[in-house]
Amino acid sequence: MNITVFIKQVPDTDDVKWTENNNIDRTNMESILNPLDKQAIEAALNLKENNNAKVTAVSMGPSKAEAVLKEALAMGVDEAYLLCDSKFAGSDTNATSRVLASAITQKFPDTDLILFGQTAIDGETAQTSVSTAARLNYPYISNVNGLIEVNEDNCITAYSETETEKITTKTELPAVIAINNYCVKPRIPRISGYIKAKDYIVKSYNLYDLNISENTTGVKGSPTYVSKVFKNSEGRNCNFIETSNKDYTKTIKDRIEKIRKQ
Amino acid sequence: MEPNGILIYGELNEDCGVSAVVTELLTKARELKEKIWNQRIMVCIIGPRINYENIITTLGDYGADEVIIINDDRLKQYDKKYFGEIFTQVAQKYPPRIILAGATNQGREIMPYTAIKLNTGLTADCTNLNIADNGLLLSTRPTFGGKLTADILCKTFPQMATVHQNTFKAEKTENHVNAIFDWIDIDKIENKSKIINIIKKNISSKDINTADIIVSGGLSACKDNGFTLIYELAQRLNAAVAGSRAAYEKGYIIKSQQIGQTGKTVAPKLYIAIGISGAAQHIAGIKNSGTIIAINKDKNAPIFKHADIGLVGDLFQIIPELIEELDKEEKDE
Repeated sequence: MNITVFIKQVPDTDDVKWTENNNIDRTNMESILNPLDKQAIEAALNLKENNNAKVTAVSMGPSKAEAVLKEALAMGVDEAYLLCDSKFAGSDTNATSRVLASAITQKFPDTDLILFGQTAIDGETAQTSVSTAARLNYPYISNVNGLIEVNEDNCITAYSETETEKITTKTELPAVIAINNYCVKPRIPRISGYIKAKDYIVKSYNLYDLNISENTTGVKGSPTYVSKVFKNSEGRNCNFIETSNKDYTKTIKDRIEKIRKQ
Repeated sequence: MEPNGILIYGELNEDCGVSAVVTELLTKARELKEKIWNQRIMVCIIGPRINYENIITTLGDYGADEVIIINDDRLKQYDKKYFGEIFTQVAQKYPPRIILAGATNQGREIMPYTAIKLNTGLTADCTNLNIADNGLLLSTRPTFGGKLTADILCKTFPQMATVHQNTFKAEKTENHVNAIFDWIDIDKIENKSKIINIIKKNISSKDINTADIIVSGGLSACKDNGFTLIYELAQRLNAAVAGSRAAYEKGYIIKSQQIGQTGKTVAPKLYIAIGISGAAQHIAGIKNSGTIIAINKDKNAPIFKHADIGLVGDLFQIIPELIEELDKEEKDE
C-alpha cells in the first residue's frame, strides 16, 4: 500500500509579532509543521506498522519548507518531496489543489491513500483536502479520528466524528482522508530519526515536473484574491466592576435580570 | 447562459425543516440582491420525497424568489458525493453569480466539491458579505489564526462563500415564491464510498445556537472543579454551557459546544466568558452577542477589550459568590 501525506509549513499563529504599522512581522515568525498534519503523519505511520505500507510525505512551499519534511522523516516516513516553484506563490485553495492533484497524477500515480490534516492553523479553510479529492475524482472522508482499517477488497474502513454523529465509512481506494483529533498522539521523533532525516536529500519538483501551465497556478491561477487585510478592531468598552467588595454580585445579578427581560 | 442571481444551498435539518442558517443567508441575500440589479434569489433543496409546501412557504417568507427541489428517497440521508454532484449540476443548470451556504458539515464538503467542478473560488467561514464597487461579492473572513481580517474577491463566476450560523440575523419579508421540482439522474453518479454505520451522539446540554444565555469556559477553567462550577452557574441562569477550543481539546466540552472560528458562532443575549483569554478565533465566534461579561484574573487579557462588563479575579472565588447571590434570589421569591 502506498500512502501520500500532504503536509504544510505554517507560521506559528500563537506567536504573532506585529510591526509598527500593525502588519504581521512575518520575517521574525517561527514556522512550524501544521499540528493536524502531524496527526496525519501519525495515522500514516500507524497504517504502515499494521500493514505493509510505504509512506511518502509531500509539501508544497518555499525551500525552507524542507524543514517540515525533515520532521516527517524523523517521525518515520519513508520518503519526502517538496513541490517548489516561485510560480506557485500566492495560490489559493483552488490553485493549491491543482498542484497537489498534479503531483499525484504525475509523480505518485501508484498512491492508494492520500492523507491530510483537516485544517491548517494559518488559513483554517479546511478546503484543500476536499478540493484535491474533487479534482482527482477520489472518494473523500473528513473528520477521521480513529485507526484506519485496510480491508481485503481494495477498500478501507474509516471512523469519523462530527458534532452530532459518529460515522463509519467504507470506501474504495484510491481515496482521500482528512484527519481531525486523531486517536493516537503524534510520536516525538527519536534521535536516530533526526540523524536519518539529516542525511536524507529531499527531492524537489517544479512547475514543469508537474506538467502545470503557468496560467493555472499561483496568483494568476487563483480565482480568489485578497483585496484588503486589516488588524481586527478592538470591539467594546469594558466597564470593570470591582470584585474585592462583595456587593458586586448584586450588581451583576440585577444586570442579568435586566438582560433577560429584554 | 449569463450568470444571474444568488443560489443558496437550502440545507434541511434532521426533521426535514429549513436550517436556521438558510433563513439567515436569505436575509443577507436580500441586501446583496439590491446591489446586483435585483437579480433573483434561488434556493436549492436536496432531500427525500416529502411534502415541501411548508418549506417553500418558509423560504418565500425570508425572500426566496425560486426554490429548486431535487427529491428522491435515496437522498434522505446526507451523502457528500450525491449531494455534491447534485448541487453542482443545479448550479450548472441555473448558473448564478453568487453561491452561498452555511459553514456546516455539509456546506464544508459540498461547496469545495462544487467550486472545483465549476473551477471557481470559494471563501470559507465568512463573517460578512457585501457587494464591492465593481459589482463583485466582497467576502470578509478572519485569517492568520484569526489575528487578521481579510476582504476577499473572486474573479470567476459563480463567486462562492460559506457563513457560520448566527452570523446574520434572520428577518421575514413579503415575497412571491416559485417552486421548481427538477430531476437529476442519480443513477449516473458514481459513488465509491458507503456509510456503513451512524451513531447519533446523545447531546444533553442545552443548544448553544438558540440559548438566551451562554456560560462559557476557557483554559483557566480546565482544572480542579472549574467546569463543575460553570455548569452550576449555568443551571441557575437556565443557560447553555460552551467553551473555547482549549476546553474542547482538554475534553471538558464536546465539539458542538465549542465556540470560535473552528467551532460555532453564537449570538445570545448574554455571553459570560469565564477564564477565556480571548484569542481572536474565539472572539470571531462571540462578537454578535448582546452583552458580554468576562471573568479573568489577568486584567490585560484580550477578552476585556471585547467585553461590556469585566470582573478581574479568580474564577474559583467569583463563580461561587455569584451562585450564592443567585440562590439568595430564589429564597426571596
